[in-house]
Amino acid sequence: MNKALFIISLQHELAMAIGNKLDLKAMLKVFLKVCFNRLNLTSTHIYIHCDENNIPTKLTPLETNNYQHLLSIPKKKQGKSWVENSALSHFTAQLINAQENISKQCENGRYFFGFIIPDHGLLIFETHYAIDIEVQKALLPILQKLSTSCYTSLVHDSLVKEVYSRQLVEEKVAFQAQHDGLTGLVNRQHLNVLLAEAIEEAHFNKKFGCVVFIDLNRFKPINDSMGHTVGDQILLILANRLQSLSGENIDVARFGGDEFVLLIRNLNHNYQEVVTEIISDINQLLAIPFVIKANSYKLSCSIGYVFFPLQSSTVNNIIKFADIAMYEAKRNKSRLGKQYHSSMSDKIKKRLAYVEDMKQGLKNGDFKLFYQPQYNHSGDIIGAEALLRWQHPIHGIESPAVYIPIAEESDLILNIGQWVLEQACADIHKIEQLSLPNTFKNISINVSAKQLIQHDFQDKVMQAIKANNILAEHLGLELTENLLVENIEDSIKLIASFKANAITSSIDDFGTGYSSLTYLKRIPARVLKIDRSFVANIEQSNESVAIASMIISLGKTLHMNVLAEGVETIDEFNCLKMLGCYQYQGYYFNRPLPFEEFIQLFN
Amino acid sequence: MEGSLFFWHTNSDSLADFKIGLNLAQASDATSLMVLACNQNDYPTQDLNILLKTCLLPIFGGIYPMISHQDTLMKQGALIIGFQETYNISTFSNLHQLKDEDALENYINSQLEEKLNFHSDNFLMFFDGLMNNVEDFIDCLFECLDHGITIAGGGAGHVDFVQRPCIFTNQGLRSNVVLLVTLPSKLTTSVAHGWKIFQGPFLASEVEEQTVLSLNYEPAFDLYSQAIESTSNYKFTEGNFFDIAKRYPLGIEDINSNLIIREIIVSQYGYLQCAGKIPINSMIYLLEGDIDSLIETTEQTAIDLFSKTTAESAQISMIFDCIGRVLYMEDDFARELHVINKHRTSSALFGVLSIGEIANSKSGAIRLLNKTTVISTW
Repeated sequence: MNKALFIISLQHELAMAIGNKLDLKAMLKVFLKVCFNRLNLTSTHIYIHCDENNIPTKLTPLETNNYQHLLSIPKKKQGKSWVENSALSHFTAQLINAQENISKQCENGRYFFGFIIPDHGLLIFETHYAIDIEVQKALLPILQKLSTSCYTSLVHDSLVKEVYSRQLVEEKVAFQAQHDGLTGLVNRQHLNVLLAEAIEEAHFNKKFGCVVFIDLNRFKPINDSMGHTVGDQILLILANRLQSLSGENIDVARFGGDEFVLLIRNLNHNYQEVVTEIISDINQLLAIPFVIKANSYKLSCSIGYVFFPLQSSTVNNIIKFADIAMYEAKRNKSRLGKQYHSSMSDKIKKRLAYVEDMKQGLKNGDFKLFYQPQYNHSGDIIGAEALLRWQHPIHGIESPAVYIPIAEESDLILNIGQWVLEQACADIHKIEQLSLPNTFKNISINVSAKQLIQHDFQDKVMQAIKANNILAEHLGLELTENLLVENIEDSIKLIASFKANAITSSIDDFGTGYSSLTYLKRIPARVLKIDRSFVANIEQSNESVAIASMIISLGKTLHMNVLAEGVETIDEFNCLKMLGCYQYQGYYFNRPLPFEEFIQLFN
Repeated sequence: MEGSLFFWHTNSDSLADFKIGLNLAQASDATSLMVLACNQNDYPTQDLNILLKTCLLPIFGGIYPMISHQDTLMKQGALIIGFQETYNISTFSNLHQLKDEDALENYINSQLEEKLNFHSDNFLMFFDGLMNNVEDFIDCLFECLDHGITIAGGGAGHVDFVQRPCIFTNQGLRSNVVLLVTLPSKLTTSVAHGWKIFQGPFLASEVEEQTVLSLNYEPAFDLYSQAIESTSNYKFTEGNFFDIAKRYPLGIEDINSNLIIREIIVSQYGYLQCAGKIPINSMIYLLEGDIDSLIETTEQTAIDLFSKTTAESAQISMIFDCIGRVLYMEDDFARELHVINKHRTSSALFGVLSIGEIANSKSGAIRLLNKTTVISTW
């Protein structure tokens, strides 16, 4: 009676131990532990049927047996995995072969009992005694129940996997929505969310925060000349370096292009010191050269920052102010970063008003083209440079040094450039009606960076020539050396294309840029213009003489004419002539003249 | 001094005397120290901690309800045993914070891995006997350690069953701690209890860990008290539960008809609270014992054990005897110590009266025992 009760209680307990967990391994472990304790086992093991990828699966008829060791209690024998135990492996092979419950007495007096878990696996007990046949029989319904539970666990596992993979996809989508695709940094949209939270936190905790806006200097030339792959690599390296600054209180975001933002939270009253230190860290991170495909690039950045809630409590303003401060730092070429100040916004407002004035000026015809004639050494006129003058209704004549950079910051420079092109062509048409000397070559206009990168710039030029019915050779283009360097490959193509259409190009302000001679050789320009800074008092400066001589000999080598700008005195003229420069422009000859006065020169 | 051991004992309950012993031990040839002390001692914890932390030798052991030296039961005082060989100590701390099996398993594995070249088959285990997850710990320990280890141990603590720091470590006196001490020579153990079936079997129909809620689907205390009251002169009244229960522990019968004893500590709300887990649906017997048969069993066990060893193969013998047996046998317990001492072949014999004993079952697994004597020798 006691034995019967024992068997019933054993069955009951083993049955209760099945299905307590959903994960297959965890479920089987609970069962195995109860077996181990209640049956006084020396060791116990489970092998489970697996598919060709060794993933547990239900055994189907005609399928080859592939049982993999899953669990053992205890985990090892004499320091080695049970898989390496030859007695167990041998017995398991016998059990697989027999496909029915078997037992075996070992040499050490121990026993192995093997049971089939229908459709799913093998259960093996090692004991120091022989398990009664009644107990063995009592295990059969348990094994059937275990089989059902195995199947349930497998279904559950596959569901868990499916849910997990869906979760991964969802996480990926969520990540992509919040992070930049190239760098993996927080993107602009998510930065706005984080910033909104940080502002609220700062209010709540009575702390401060800071947005640091970082923009790479002169990144575009690298991107344009070396290709986007190199540019992207640089951004990626920089993102990784900046990421090293991130932490509990610092998020790093890519704001767009080569702009990055650091969002700093939880600052105390020493906020200024902390941010100054972080800016120093940023500069140090940038000081390390960016090595890509054996090429080394050196970059710097401009940094603007703003403190919240001190300077603003709205997301848009904080970002805008940091951006404004960054531009201010860029203008001042400051490496220490600039903190936003309301005067910067005032400046911006003034600029905007100024841009409006310019727009109005264009409409009202306040802009005029003046022409500064160019001469050869014999005093013959060879052409002129068209120079823009703006008669401001209130301020009077405005300096191009003031309004051109402002126009260049906005798209207004394109409107101005187009006006200049059209007006110059119209003036050329009038000139063509005069009797021009044989020495006359062309009227040149200055081209801005924004014009040059317009995909239809050449079309626009050709259209203006056609519309005014002038000879293309009478129009020249002046491009600054820096402008060419920023977009060298495209510039070379464009200049060649203009040349093919009889339009010649000059390289303006030569000597101030960083042209590589290799590139210069490939630029099909006709004229090299010596920058006025090397011309001023050239007769008194050995250095200027050396530079001018170098440019002159370079021009000869490259079969380019060399023209000196800003010639103001006879001494400068004589010196240049002596050095072999035979084309000039400057006050010594004429200052820029209104068109009407200019055309008088041909009479 | 006994053999090559450093051996020092005191019946004094003062820390000053203990300090003398500890200083002597540190000045001896010993490289590891086992320290056993009685919970009645008047050891201010802070001062004791300073002694432990400044001790230059590795320390293991604990504060037990009582300790024994040869055939003498010591209710106060301390023993310090110094070993010339290095006894490697693995400390498992803050175990009460490890709530599930995975956490325990990870922790045990990490601690074992910390000990480089950790390989031994013979262990002593000193543990906080009032730690609530000691059985989960030993289950995991067995799974992680290896197959075929031999272990003996006993739970430290205070006889009032209030948990306090009770394990000696070089970091001070600690609670919720297990010390696993590797022995330099082969450990042989023998287990005796002498309790006999009085009534049963009963099905443990509702159990929560150490608490039996119902037996044969009846409230556990009702069935337990009726079974005793109907066949003895004992009557349960308010306040005398343990006086009767200490004579009638429960026995869990395993498949080979072996009994694992479970002492019943208290009864509350009709439940029986035991000093170890009872598996649900297991077969439970009500046990009784008489002092003579308990001692006879112990003597036979001692004879069996010491017949397998010699003074050369095992110099040291240690007893982990359940405090419950002292509470039951009272003055007769001295006879139990006497019969063990009489048959010992080792030069040293000492022991502790513990709250829960640890030994291997015949299958090799590690079990938590109650009301049992574990005699070990190495």
